[in-house]
Amino acid sequence: MQYMLLVYEPEDAWEGEAGQAAMQVVVAKHMALAGELAAQGVLLSGNGLQGTATATTVVMGEGGAQTLHDGPFAETREQLGGYYLIDVADLDAALAWGRKVPGVPGAKCEVRPVIAQ
Amino acid sequence: MNPGAAIHQARSRVVAALAARFRDLDLAEDAFAEAALAALTAWPAELPRDPAAWLWRVALRRALDAKRRAGTRAAAVHDAPPPEPTPEDLAMLSEEPIPDERLRLIFVCCHPAIAPEARAALTLKVVCGRSTPRLARAFLVGEGAMLQRITRAKAKIAGAGVPFEVPARAAWPERLGAVLATLEIAYAQAYEDAALAGDAADFAVEVLRLSGLLVELVPDDPEVLALAALVRFAEARRPARLDDHGAMVPLAEQDVRQWNAALIAEGARLLDRAAELKKTGPYQILAAIHGAHLSRRETGETPWLVIASLYDALMVARPGPVTAVNRAVAVGEASGAEAGLTALDAVRSDRRLEGWLPWQAARAWLCEKAGRAEEAAAAYDAALALGPAPAERLYLQRKRAALSTQ
Repeated sequence: MQYMLLVYEPEDAWEGEAGQAAMQVVVAKHMALAGELAAQGVLLSGNGLQGTATATTVVMGEGGAQTLHDGPFAETREQLGGYYLIDVADLDAALAWGRKVPGVPGAKCEVRPVIAQ
Repeated sequence: MNPGAAIHQARSRVVAALAARFRDLDLAEDAFAEAALAALTAWPAELPRDPAAWLWRVALRRALDAKRRAGTRAAAVHDAPPPEPTPEDLAMLSEEPIPDERLRLIFVCCHPAIAPEARAALTLKVVCGRSTPRLARAFLVGEGAMLQRITRAKAKIAGAGVPFEVPARAAWPERLGAVLATLEIAYAQAYEDAALAGDAADFAVEVLRLSGLLVELVPDDPEVLALAALVRFAEARRPARLDDHGAMVPLAEQDVRQWNAALIAEGARLLDRAAELKKTGPYQILAAIHGAHLSRRETGETPWLVIASLYDALMVARPGPVTAVNRAVAVGEASGAEAGLTALDAVRSDRRLEGWLPWQAARAWLCEKAGRAEEAAAAYDAALALGPAPAERLYLQRKRAALSTQ
């Protein structure tokens, strides 16, 4: 089954000098994890996203009307920071990988099955 | 044994084997229900030699038929090859002994991906065959809400890819913990039900059976043994929990002659086995507390000092407001009411304590014991205002009334 590991992080963790240092550590761990996923042959794709300061949202309205919103769709403390798309046997295997996702305290990794084609 | 009892006894094993084979809970339940229906009409005055094997053969055939029908439908749309079991396959399958997959099924129903209150309902539904209306009554929710809870849990199992496997040993502390917590919730529900008339006792019997089954399947885990002991100790007191007027009788005032000696002995044997494994845990401490209360049967006295120190240990193993309130009452009995009130004042909780029934009831009792009649009366009134269950309400009203006459 395919699962998406959605990584949510408190963005303010990256602020300041200490934040930059923390980010370097987390990024290095992500590189290692991506390497391990690839070596196990379960990684389909994965990317980190730029911060929500760069996000623009298209809002769908009634009758096909659309408006643009300058920012992420939801103003929450934790924001989607990246994802992995993996192919493993079952939820337990996906959760085992989810536990290996690095993050600062408060970060979350949501494990969602992909709709089978 | 009558056909109904034989069907009930065979159920968990046959449903588990079907669920493990087809990885589909609904299919397993439906196939078993059809086989049970067939059994009721096919079994004459005498039961077949092996009712479980009979049900397994019929249910397996029904499940394969259903799969084939579903496969044919899917094939019409997706061009997928239907899974066709040959008559030889079927004959061979039916001759196999029923594989014991009950532990797998329990782990599936108690997966941490499912909400805790849904796990308990799902386990009792799928493993024990309890009907949705019965579960709704036991869990004090409407039938629609219960049906939705179970349907959602099943949909999550199928949709999220919860594996039909016994997890690796390394994952057991977390996964077995979830199973034990599920059984604890299920029993707590049955226990709360005790004051209600009718099928509640039968419901508790199901939890007894389930905890015993878990011991059979996982014989070397001390917490599994301790939980089985715990529910036996609690269930042993059922006949003594209410007086003739339907009022609650506190544990330390119950008539020991009404306790079920056989269940107590069974619980004690289980707890001894747990102790031999030399690895303590919260369920062992809880069971030891219940065991200490039950020792009044031999000694005529409740060993409050022992119980208070067991609660100290439980506060380390499983801290929480419920443990803290129970500990305060034990301290009040062991070291005096004022010491108990001091312990009660130290209870920390996310909820507002004044609006929490166990805290008010404990406070009322400790104040009464300390001779603070006015504070006791206020606490009894506060407890009564919080809507206790009928048996507890009668008890609290009686205590409150006795105070006013002084």
